[in-house]
Amino acid sequence: MLKTLYLRLISLNLGLWLITGVMLALAAGSFSQGAAEGGGLNEMPLFAWLLGAPVGFSWWLWIALALLAPLTLNAILCSIEALRKGRSLAPQLMHLGFLFIVLAHLLSAYGGFKQQFQLPEGGSLGFPDGERLLVENISGVAGPMGMLSSYQARMRIGNGAASGVEPNHPLFHKGYGIYLKQVELVPVPVALIEVHREPGAWAALAGALFFTLGNLMLLMQRRGKPQ
Amino acid sequence: MKWLLIASIPVYLFGSFKRPIFALAVLVELVYLASRGIGLGRLPLIGPQDTLAFFSCSIGLMALPFLFTRELAEEEGLRWSCGALAAFFAGLALPFPTLNMPLPPVLDTYWFELHVALAFFAYALFGVGALLGGAFLLKGRRSLLDLQYRAALTGYSFFSLSMVSGGIWGYYAWGTYWLWTPKELWTSILWLFYSLFLHLRAKGSSWDKGFAWLGIVGFVVTLFTYLGVSIFMRSSHSF
Repeated sequence: MLKTLYLRLISLNLGLWLITGVMLALAAGSFSQGAAEGGGLNEMPLFAWLLGAPVGFSWWLWIALALLAPLTLNAILCSIEALRKGRSLAPQLMHLGFLFIVLAHLLSAYGGFKQQFQLPEGGSLGFPDGERLLVENISGVAGPMGMLSSYQARMRIGNGAASGVEPNHPLFHKGYGIYLKQVELVPVPVALIEVHREPGAWAALAGALFFTLGNLMLLMQRRGKPQ
Repeated sequence: MKWLLIASIPVYLFGSFKRPIFALAVLVELVYLASRGIGLGRLPLIGPQDTLAFFSCSIGLMALPFLFTRELAEEEGLRWSCGALAAFFAGLALPFPTLNMPLPPVLDTYWFELHVALAFFAYALFGVGALLGGAFLLKGRRSLLDLQYRAALTGYSFFSLSMVSGGIWGYYAWGTYWLWTPKELWTSILWLFYSLFLHLRAKGSSWDKGFAWLGIVGFVVTLFTYLGVSIFMRSSHSF
Protein backbone atom coordinates (compact mmCIF):
# COMPACT_ATOMS: atom_id res chain seq x y z
CA MET A 1 0.00 0.00 0.00
CA LEU A 2 2.85 2.36 0.86
CA LYS A 3 4.44 1.58 -2.49
CA THR A 4 1.19 2.42 -4.31
CA LEU A 5 0.99 5.71 -2.42
CA TYR A 6 4.63 6.49 -3.27
CA LEU A 7 4.08 5.69 -6.96
CA ARG A 8 1.04 7.98 -6.97
CA LEU A 9 3.03 10.75 -5.31
CA ILE A 10 5.84 10.62 -7.87
CA SER A 11 3.58 10.29 -10.88
CA LEU A 12 3.73 12.83 -13.71
CA ASN A 13 -0.07 12.75 -13.93
CA LEU A 14 -0.43 13.93 -10.34
CA GLY A 15 1.99 16.81 -11.03
CA LEU A 16 0.09 17.82 -14.16
CA TRP A 17 -3.30 17.76 -12.40
CA LEU A 18 -1.95 19.76 -9.45
CA ILE A 19 -0.46 22.40 -11.77
CA THR A 20 -3.82 22.61 -13.54
CA GLY A 21 -5.57 23.04 -10.19
CA VAL A 22 -3.21 25.83 -9.06
CA MET A 23 -3.69 27.62 -12.39
CA LEU A 24 -7.48 27.41 -12.14
CA ALA A 25 -7.46 28.64 -8.53
CA LEU A 26 -5.25 31.62 -9.41
CA ALA A 27 -7.30 32.40 -12.53
CA ALA A 28 -10.57 32.34 -10.57
CA GLY A 29 -8.96 34.38 -7.82
CA SER A 30 -7.70 37.03 -10.23
CA PHE A 31 -11.35 37.93 -10.96
CA SER A 32 -12.33 37.95 -7.28
CA GLN A 33 -12.44 40.91 -4.92
CA GLY A 34 -9.72 39.34 -2.82
CA ALA A 35 -7.07 39.90 -5.51
CA ALA A 36 -8.21 43.44 -6.29
CA GLU A 37 -5.62 46.07 -5.55
CA GLY A 38 -6.77 47.94 -2.49
CA GLY A 39 -7.93 44.68 -0.93
CA GLY A 40 -4.97 44.85 1.44
CA LEU A 41 -3.15 41.79 0.08
CA ASN A 42 0.04 43.76 -0.59
CA GLU A 43 -0.09 45.72 2.66
CA MET A 44 0.85 42.92 5.07
CA PRO A 45 2.55 39.52 5.10
CA LEU A 46 0.47 36.94 3.23
CA PHE A 47 -0.19 34.70 6.25
CA ALA A 48 -1.41 37.67 8.30
CA TRP A 49 -3.77 38.61 5.47
CA LEU A 50 -4.99 35.02 5.07
CA LEU A 51 -5.79 34.73 8.79
CA GLY A 52 -7.57 38.08 8.88
CA ALA A 53 -9.43 38.17 5.57
CA PRO A 54 -12.92 36.66 5.25
CA VAL A 55 -12.90 33.30 3.45
CA GLY A 56 -15.11 34.90 0.78
CA PHE A 57 -12.04 36.98 -0.15
CA SER A 58 -9.28 34.42 0.36
CA TRP A 59 -10.78 31.06 -0.73
CA TRP A 60 -8.81 30.95 -3.98
CA LEU A 61 -5.50 31.40 -2.17
CA TRP A 62 -6.36 28.67 0.34
CA ILE A 63 -7.12 26.33 -2.57
CA ALA A 64 -3.90 27.30 -4.37
CA LEU A 65 -1.88 26.69 -1.18
CA ALA A 66 -3.61 23.37 -0.56
CA LEU A 67 -2.63 22.25 -4.09
CA LEU A 68 0.90 23.72 -3.93
CA ALA A 69 1.77 21.60 -0.87
CA PRO A 70 1.40 18.21 -2.66
CA LEU A 71 2.88 19.74 -5.84
CA THR A 72 6.00 20.66 -3.87
CA LEU A 73 6.20 17.11 -2.49
CA ASN A 74 5.67 15.74 -6.01
CA ALA A 75 8.55 17.87 -7.34
CA ILE A 76 10.89 16.76 -4.51
CA LEU A 77 10.10 13.06 -4.91
CA CYS A 78 10.28 13.17 -8.73
CA SER A 79 13.71 14.79 -8.56
CA ILE A 80 15.02 12.25 -6.04
CA GLU A 81 13.68 9.43 -8.21
CA ALA A 82 15.22 10.95 -11.38
CA LEU A 83 18.61 11.40 -9.69
CA ARG A 84 18.49 7.79 -8.40
CA LYS A 85 17.93 6.63 -11.97
CA GLY A 86 20.85 8.78 -13.19
CA ARG A 87 18.73 11.07 -15.37
CA SER A 88 19.83 14.54 -16.52
CA LEU A 89 20.63 17.05 -13.78
CA ALA A 90 19.12 20.05 -15.65
CA PRO A 91 15.40 19.49 -14.87
CA GLN A 92 16.29 18.66 -11.25
CA LEU A 93 18.09 22.01 -10.90
CA MET A 94 14.96 23.70 -12.27
CA HIS A 95 12.87 21.81 -9.69
CA LEU A 96 15.32 22.94 -6.99
CA GLY A 97 14.88 26.54 -8.18
CA PHE A 98 11.09 26.15 -7.95
CA LEU A 99 11.42 24.74 -4.41
CA PHE A 100 13.59 27.67 -3.29
CA ILE A 101 11.04 30.10 -4.69
CA VAL A 102 8.25 28.32 -2.76
CA LEU A 103 10.49 28.61 0.34
CA ALA A 104 11.03 32.32 -0.39
CA HIS A 105 7.28 32.94 -0.47
CA LEU A 106 6.80 30.98 2.78
CA LEU A 107 9.50 33.01 4.57
CA SER A 108 8.15 36.34 3.30
CA ALA A 109 4.53 35.31 3.95
CA TYR A 110 5.46 34.61 7.59
CA GLY A 111 8.05 37.27 8.44
CA GLY A 112 7.58 40.06 5.90
CA PHE A 113 7.10 43.65 7.02
CA LYS A 114 5.98 46.85 5.32
CA GLN A 115 5.21 50.27 6.75
CA GLN A 116 4.95 53.77 5.29
CA PHE A 117 6.23 56.96 6.89
CA GLN A 118 5.87 60.56 5.79
CA LEU A 119 8.91 62.50 6.93
CA PRO A 120 9.98 66.12 6.40
CA GLU A 121 13.61 67.25 6.30
CA GLY A 122 15.02 66.68 9.79
CA GLY A 123 12.38 64.01 10.52
CA SER A 124 13.41 60.59 11.81
CA LEU A 125 12.11 57.10 12.55
CA GLY A 126 13.33 54.38 14.91
CA PHE A 127 14.27 50.75 14.22
CA PRO A 128 13.61 47.90 16.66
CA ASP A 129 17.35 47.81 17.52
CA GLY A 130 17.11 51.39 18.82
CA GLU A 131 18.96 53.06 15.92
CA ARG A 132 17.32 56.04 14.24
CA LEU A 133 17.05 56.98 10.59
CA LEU A 134 17.35 60.71 9.97
CA VAL A 135 16.19 62.40 6.74
CA GLU A 136 18.76 65.19 6.28
CA ASN A 137 17.79 66.55 2.89
CA ILE A 138 15.07 66.07 0.24
CA SER A 139 15.49 67.30 -3.35
CA GLY A 140 14.02 66.77 -6.81
CA VAL A 141 14.21 67.96 -10.41
CA ALA A 142 11.01 68.87 -12.27
CA GLY A 143 10.70 67.69 -15.86
CA PRO A 144 9.25 69.71 -18.79
CA MET A 145 5.70 68.53 -17.94
CA GLY A 146 5.98 69.77 -14.35
CA MET A 147 6.25 66.32 -12.76
CA LEU A 148 9.39 65.34 -10.87
CA SER A 149 11.70 63.56 -13.30
CA SER A 150 14.06 62.56 -10.50
CA TYR A 151 14.12 62.89 -6.73
CA GLN A 152 16.32 61.81 -3.88
CA ALA A 153 16.78 62.10 -0.14
CA ARG A 154 19.96 62.09 1.93
CA MET A 155 19.52 59.82 4.95
CA ARG A 156 21.73 58.82 7.86
CA ILE A 157 21.34 55.89 10.24
CA GLY A 158 22.74 56.51 13.75
CA ASN A 159 26.23 57.95 13.50
CA GLY A 160 26.92 56.27 10.14
CA ALA A 161 27.75 57.96 6.86
CA ALA A 162 24.96 59.75 4.97
CA SER A 163 23.53 57.85 1.99
CA GLY A 164 21.62 59.10 -1.04
CA VAL A 165 18.34 57.24 -1.48
CA GLU A 166 16.35 57.45 -4.71
CA PRO A 167 13.94 55.25 -6.72
CA ASN A 168 15.63 51.89 -7.51
CA HIS A 169 18.43 52.72 -5.04
CA PRO A 170 17.16 51.87 -1.55
CA LEU A 171 19.14 51.93 1.66
CA PHE A 172 19.58 48.62 3.51
CA HIS A 173 19.95 48.29 7.27
CA LYS A 174 20.03 45.01 9.21
CA GLY A 175 17.52 43.17 7.02
CA TYR A 176 15.33 46.21 6.38
CA GLY A 177 15.12 48.09 3.07
CA ILE A 178 14.36 51.82 3.16
CA TYR A 179 12.64 52.96 -0.06
CA LEU A 180 11.91 56.48 -1.22
CA LYS A 181 8.46 56.23 -2.83
CA GLN A 182 7.48 59.82 -3.45
CA VAL A 183 8.59 63.37 -2.77
CA GLU A 184 6.69 66.65 -2.44
CA LEU A 185 8.82 69.82 -2.54
CA VAL A 186 6.15 72.44 -1.75
CA PRO A 187 5.06 73.90 0.63
CA VAL A 188 7.85 72.10 2.54
CA PRO A 189 9.93 69.14 1.32
CA VAL A 190 8.35 65.88 2.47
CA ALA A 191 9.35 62.31 1.63
CA LEU A 192 7.10 59.27 1.56
CA ILE A 193 9.28 56.43 2.80
CA GLU A 194 8.50 52.73 2.91
CA VAL A 195 10.36 50.32 5.14
CA HIS A 196 10.29 46.71 3.98
CA ARG A 197 11.61 43.44 5.28
CA GLU A 198 11.65 40.50 2.84
CA PRO A 199 13.10 37.50 4.65
CA GLY A 200 12.54 35.36 1.55
CA ALA A 201 14.57 37.53 -0.82
CA TRP A 202 17.79 35.45 -0.53
CA ALA A 203 15.84 32.23 -1.21
CA ALA A 204 14.12 33.83 -4.22
CA LEU A 205 17.49 34.85 -5.64
CA ALA A 206 18.98 31.40 -4.96
CA GLY A 207 15.93 29.81 -6.60
CA ALA A 208 16.27 32.09 -9.62
CA LEU A 209 19.96 31.16 -9.99
CA PHE A 210 19.31 27.40 -9.69
CA PHE A 211 16.39 27.60 -12.11
CA THR A 212 18.33 29.66 -14.67
CA LEU A 213 21.35 27.34 -14.46
CA GLY A 214 19.15 24.28 -14.99
CA ASN A 215 17.26 26.03 -17.77
CA LEU A 216 20.48 26.90 -19.63
CA MET A 217 21.75 23.33 -19.23
CA LEU A 218 18.46 22.01 -20.60
CA LEU A 219 18.64 24.36 -23.60
CA MET A 220 22.18 23.17 -24.35
CA GLN A 221 21.10 19.54 -24.09
CA ARG A 222 18.09 20.03 -26.36
CA ARG A 223 20.06 21.86 -29.08
CA GLY A 224 19.60 20.05 -32.35
CA LYS A 225 17.61 17.25 -30.73
CA PRO A 226 13.93 16.65 -31.43
CA GLN A 227 13.19 16.20 -27.68
CA MET B 1 9.00 57.74 -38.59
CA LYS B 2 5.60 56.09 -37.97
CA TRP B 3 5.42 55.47 -41.72
CA LEU B 4 8.03 52.72 -41.25
CA LEU B 5 5.67 50.84 -38.94
CA ILE B 6 2.83 51.37 -41.43
CA ALA B 7 5.07 50.23 -44.31
CA SER B 8 6.01 47.00 -42.54
CA ILE B 9 2.35 45.84 -42.60
CA PRO B 10 1.93 45.39 -46.40
CA VAL B 11 5.47 43.99 -46.64
CA TYR B 12 4.51 41.32 -44.09
CA LEU B 13 1.08 40.68 -45.62
CA PHE B 14 2.09 40.51 -49.28
CA GLY B 15 5.72 39.43 -49.11
CA SER B 16 6.00 36.95 -46.24
CA PHE B 17 5.73 34.00 -48.63
CA LYS B 18 9.39 34.72 -49.48
CA ARG B 19 11.92 34.54 -46.68
CA PRO B 20 14.05 37.54 -47.77
CA ILE B 21 10.96 39.75 -47.89
CA PHE B 22 9.88 38.52 -44.45
CA ALA B 23 13.36 39.47 -43.21
CA LEU B 24 12.99 42.88 -44.91
CA ALA B 25 9.72 43.53 -43.02
CA VAL B 26 11.46 42.68 -39.74
CA LEU B 27 14.31 45.05 -40.66
CA VAL B 28 11.83 47.87 -41.41
CA GLU B 29 10.24 47.38 -37.96
CA LEU B 30 13.65 47.25 -36.30
CA VAL B 31 14.61 50.56 -37.94
CA TYR B 32 11.31 52.04 -36.71
CA LEU B 33 11.93 50.86 -33.12
CA ALA B 34 15.56 51.99 -33.26
CA SER B 35 14.49 55.48 -34.40
CA ARG B 36 11.93 55.63 -31.56
CA GLY B 37 14.56 54.42 -29.11
CA ILE B 38 17.15 56.97 -30.24
CA GLY B 39 14.57 59.76 -30.03
CA LEU B 40 13.47 58.75 -26.54
CA GLY B 41 16.89 57.73 -25.21
CA ARG B 42 15.46 54.43 -23.98
CA LEU B 43 13.79 51.27 -25.27
CA PRO B 44 10.26 52.09 -26.50
CA LEU B 45 8.36 49.93 -24.03
CA ILE B 46 5.76 52.23 -22.49
CA GLY B 47 2.14 52.50 -23.60
CA PRO B 48 0.05 50.38 -25.97
CA GLN B 49 1.55 51.77 -29.19
CA ASP B 50 5.15 51.05 -28.32
CA THR B 51 4.49 47.69 -26.69
CA LEU B 52 2.33 46.44 -29.58
CA ALA B 53 4.97 47.55 -32.11
CA PHE B 54 7.67 45.90 -30.00
CA PHE B 55 5.56 42.72 -29.79
CA SER B 56 5.00 42.72 -33.56
CA CYS B 57 8.72 43.13 -34.25
CA SER B 58 9.52 40.42 -31.67
CA ILE B 59 7.22 37.99 -33.54
CA GLY B 60 9.10 38.65 -36.78
CA LEU B 61 12.49 38.46 -35.11
CA MET B 62 11.77 35.26 -33.16
CA ALA B 63 10.14 33.59 -36.19
CA LEU B 64 13.20 34.21 -38.40
CA PRO B 65 15.47 31.41 -37.07
CA PHE B 66 12.58 28.94 -37.40
CA LEU B 67 11.64 30.03 -40.93
CA PHE B 68 15.24 29.54 -42.07
CA THR B 69 15.42 25.92 -40.84
CA ARG B 70 15.57 23.15 -43.44
CA GLU B 71 12.31 21.64 -42.10
CA LEU B 72 10.35 24.79 -42.97
CA ALA B 73 12.00 25.56 -46.32
CA GLU B 74 8.80 24.72 -48.23
CA GLU B 75 6.31 26.04 -45.64
CA GLU B 76 5.12 29.18 -47.44
CA GLY B 77 1.78 29.12 -45.59
CA LEU B 78 3.47 29.07 -42.22
CA ARG B 79 5.74 31.94 -43.25
CA TRP B 80 2.72 33.98 -44.28
CA SER B 81 0.96 33.13 -40.98
CA CYS B 82 3.95 34.44 -39.00
CA GLY B 83 3.99 37.56 -41.18
CA ALA B 84 0.24 38.04 -40.78
CA LEU B 85 0.52 37.71 -36.99
CA ALA B 86 3.28 40.34 -36.91
CA ALA B 87 1.27 42.58 -39.27
CA PHE B 88 -1.85 42.20 -37.09
CA PHE B 89 -0.12 43.53 -33.99
CA ALA B 90 1.66 46.28 -35.96
CA GLY B 91 -1.79 47.34 -37.25
CA LEU B 92 -3.24 47.17 -33.74
CA ALA B 93 -0.53 49.58 -32.55
CA LEU B 94 -1.36 52.30 -35.07
CA PRO B 95 -4.50 53.89 -33.53
CA PHE B 96 -2.83 54.45 -30.16
CA PRO B 97 -0.92 57.67 -29.45
CA THR B 98 2.81 57.46 -28.76
CA LEU B 99 3.96 58.31 -25.25
CA ASN B 100 7.04 60.47 -25.59
CA MET B 101 7.62 61.36 -21.96
CA PRO B 102 10.78 60.35 -20.11
CA LEU B 103 10.53 57.22 -17.99
CA PRO B 104 9.13 57.77 -14.50
CA PRO B 105 12.04 57.44 -12.04
CA VAL B 106 10.90 54.03 -10.77
CA LEU B 107 10.97 52.56 -14.30
CA ASP B 108 14.30 54.13 -15.18
CA THR B 109 16.48 51.05 -14.74
CA TYR B 110 17.94 48.36 -16.99
CA TRP B 111 16.15 45.68 -14.94
CA PHE B 112 12.79 47.06 -16.06
CA GLU B 113 13.81 47.20 -19.73
CA LEU B 114 15.25 43.68 -19.56
CA HIS B 115 12.11 42.41 -17.82
CA VAL B 116 9.74 43.80 -20.47
CA ALA B 117 11.88 43.01 -23.53
CA LEU B 118 12.38 39.38 -22.45
CA ALA B 119 8.64 39.02 -21.78
CA PHE B 120 7.85 40.14 -25.34
CA PHE B 121 10.44 37.77 -26.84
CA ALA B 122 8.74 34.98 -24.87
CA TYR B 123 5.22 36.04 -25.94
CA ALA B 124 6.44 36.10 -29.55
CA LEU B 125 7.90 32.61 -29.30
CA PHE B 126 4.65 31.32 -27.77
CA GLY B 127 2.88 32.84 -30.80
CA VAL B 128 5.28 31.17 -33.23
CA GLY B 129 4.81 27.91 -31.30
CA ALA B 130 1.02 28.20 -31.64
CA LEU B 131 1.35 28.63 -35.42
CA LEU B 132 3.67 25.61 -35.62
CA GLY B 133 1.12 23.63 -33.58
CA GLY B 134 -1.62 24.69 -36.00
CA ALA B 135 0.55 23.65 -38.96
CA PHE B 136 1.10 20.24 -37.34
CA LEU B 137 -2.66 19.76 -36.89
CA LEU B 138 -3.18 20.59 -40.58
CA LYS B 139 -0.29 18.58 -42.07
CA GLY B 140 0.63 16.00 -39.43
CA ARG B 141 4.38 16.38 -39.97
CA ARG B 142 6.21 15.39 -36.80
CA SER B 143 9.04 17.90 -37.41
CA LEU B 144 6.51 20.75 -36.95
CA LEU B 145 5.72 19.47 -33.46
CA ASP B 146 9.42 19.24 -32.61
CA LEU B 147 9.86 22.86 -33.70
CA GLN B 148 6.81 23.85 -31.64
CA TYR B 149 8.46 22.28 -28.60
CA ARG B 150 11.68 24.20 -29.29
CA ALA B 151 9.79 27.49 -29.67
CA ALA B 152 7.93 26.87 -26.40
CA LEU B 153 11.07 25.84 -24.51
CA THR B 154 13.02 28.89 -25.71
CA GLY B 155 10.02 31.13 -24.96
CA TYR B 156 9.70 29.57 -21.49
CA SER B 157 13.40 30.29 -20.88
CA PHE B 158 12.99 33.93 -21.89
CA PHE B 159 9.84 34.18 -19.79
CA SER B 160 11.53 32.71 -16.72
CA LEU B 161 14.42 35.18 -17.14
CA SER B 162 11.86 37.97 -17.50
CA MET B 163 10.28 36.93 -14.19
CA VAL B 164 13.71 36.84 -12.53
CA SER B 165 14.67 40.30 -13.82
CA GLY B 166 11.19 41.58 -12.87
CA GLY B 167 11.68 40.21 -9.35
CA ILE B 168 15.07 41.91 -9.02
CA TRP B 169 13.63 45.18 -10.35
CA GLY B 170 10.66 44.87 -7.96
CA TYR B 171 12.97 44.28 -5.00
CA TYR B 172 14.98 47.44 -5.73
CA ALA B 173 12.02 49.56 -6.83
CA TRP B 174 9.08 48.46 -4.67
CA GLY B 175 10.75 46.69 -1.77
CA THR B 176 9.43 43.27 -2.73
CA TYR B 177 10.15 40.74 -5.47
CA TRP B 178 6.45 39.88 -5.63
CA LEU B 179 3.19 41.84 -5.60
CA TRP B 180 -0.28 40.31 -5.61
CA THR B 181 -1.72 42.07 -8.67
CA PRO B 182 -3.87 40.55 -11.44
CA LYS B 183 -0.93 40.96 -13.85
CA GLU B 184 1.39 38.95 -11.64
CA LEU B 185 -1.27 36.30 -11.03
CA TRP B 186 -1.66 35.84 -14.79
CA THR B 187 2.10 35.88 -15.25
CA SER B 188 2.25 32.95 -12.80
CA ILE B 189 -0.60 31.21 -14.62
CA LEU B 190 1.24 31.60 -17.94
CA TRP B 191 4.49 30.28 -16.44
CA LEU B 192 2.66 27.33 -14.88
CA PHE B 193 0.87 26.67 -18.17
CA TYR B 194 4.11 26.35 -20.10
CA SER B 195 5.66 24.31 -17.25
CA LEU B 196 2.74 21.90 -17.71
CA PHE B 197 3.07 22.07 -21.50
CA LEU B 198 6.77 21.15 -21.45
CA HIS B 199 6.20 18.33 -18.93
CA LEU B 200 3.47 16.97 -21.18
CA ARG B 201 6.12 16.13 -23.79
CA ALA B 202 7.15 13.25 -21.53
CA LYS B 203 3.74 11.60 -22.13
CA GLY B 204 4.87 10.44 -25.55
CA SER B 205 3.39 10.47 -29.05
CA SER B 206 -0.14 9.56 -27.93
CA TRP B 207 -0.40 13.18 -26.77
CA ASP B 208 0.86 14.76 -30.03
CA LYS B 209 -2.46 16.33 -31.03
CA GLY B 210 -3.23 17.42 -27.49
CA PHE B 211 0.25 18.94 -27.30
CA ALA B 212 -0.32 20.92 -30.50
CA TRP B 213 -3.71 22.15 -29.29
CA LEU B 214 -2.32 23.16 -25.91
CA GLY B 215 0.35 25.22 -27.71
CA ILE B 216 -2.49 27.17 -29.33
CA VAL B 217 -4.32 27.54 -25.99
CA GLY B 218 -1.03 28.78 -24.50
CA PHE B 219 -0.97 31.69 -26.91
CA VAL B 220 -4.53 32.61 -25.89
CA VAL B 221 -3.36 32.64 -22.25
CA THR B 222 -0.38 34.74 -23.38
CA LEU B 223 -2.64 37.30 -25.04
CA PHE B 224 -4.86 37.48 -21.98
CA THR B 225 -1.81 38.02 -19.78
CA TYR B 226 -0.52 40.80 -22.03
CA LEU B 227 -3.71 42.50 -23.24
CA GLY B 228 -6.66 40.98 -21.37
CA VAL B 229 -5.45 41.95 -17.90
CA SER B 230 -4.91 45.55 -19.01
CA ILE B 231 -8.32 45.72 -20.69
CA PHE B 232 -10.56 43.78 -18.30
CA MET B 233 -8.89 44.15 -14.91
CA ARG B 234 -7.67 46.99 -12.74
CA SER B 235 -3.97 46.51 -12.22
CA SER B 236 -1.22 49.03 -11.54
CA HIS B 237 1.07 46.57 -13.28
CA SER B 238 -0.01 46.97 -16.92
CA PHE B 239 1.06 48.93 -19.97
